[in-house]
Amino acid sequence: MIHLYGVVEELAELPPAVVGVDEGPLERHRVEGLELIVSRTVERNDVTQAAVLSHANVVEELMARSGAVLPARFGHTFTDEQELAAAVKTKASELARGLKLVRGCLEFGLRALSGDRASQNTPGEPSGRDYMRTRLAEEKARQRLAEELHEPLARLSRASTRFGGASPDLLQAAYLVPRRDVAAFGDEVRRLEAAHADLTIVCTGPWPPYTFAANGEGEA
Amino acid sequence: MSMSEQQTLKHQVTLLELVDRVLNRGVVVSGDITLSVADVDLVYVGLRVLLSSVATLEESRERISATGAGP
Repeated sequence: MIHLYGVVEELAELPPAVVGVDEGPLERHRVEGLELIVSRTVERNDVTQAAVLSHANVVEELMARSGAVLPARFGHTFTDEQELAAAVKTKASELARGLKLVRGCLEFGLRALSGDRASQNTPGEPSGRDYMRTRLAEEKARQRLAEELHEPLARLSRASTRFGGASPDLLQAAYLVPRRDVAAFGDEVRRLEAAHADLTIVCTGPWPPYTFAANGEGEA
Repeated sequence: MSMSEQQTLKHQVTLLELVDRVLNRGVVVSGDITLSVADVDLVYVGLRVLLSSVATLEESRERISATGAGP
């Protein structure tokens, strides 16, 4: 079986001493002008911790050595080179668009967790209408706050996505930030942290652009 | 929230973000997504394995720093 790590551009050399899933050595394949990084692996039906970490590690190493990397989602293995080449051919233009989008950028993740929920502290038994009004006002305030956090970061990004509509988190988002704007992005995160000391804001990254890899398909 | 609680939380969020990226995001080159990856449970199985392994790693690190001895 063949495990795909991603599509790369301008990779000078394969990362030395880095092996893939199941310790397989990394290989470079070229299909339709796209360079793919793969390794041989055994067929499996479960996801192991070692395999997930190997995949993530290889993608990080490629990221450090390439002009652009489009990380592949973990989980699909190809039976042979022919199947891989056929799959890449049908997606070639989307993949090229994806590479263009992520080129020169790093991805950052942001989660903002709100400290308390005012609705849980409401004393007494409010009427149904009062309760709904309060909830509505709270929800509006939450959305305003989430937008206050998201908007300045999105402005510094080439692309951004918000997740988790049903999540209790105030904001879950990912940002694709040009390398030259990474310092400004970090400053903005620190400013937001200082301005909203009551919230727990966790910024993670830099990540390879997993979240934006599929944007060439028109999928966020 | 104490500093160490904050650190633990940040650590867990980072892991969650890592696993979410590797298993749920990233480009799908094949025509169809394999069932195993579309299965939500799988994400949590993977995450649980990962989190427990990190917890073990942290514990062993703490033990090492507590005794002041290297491995």
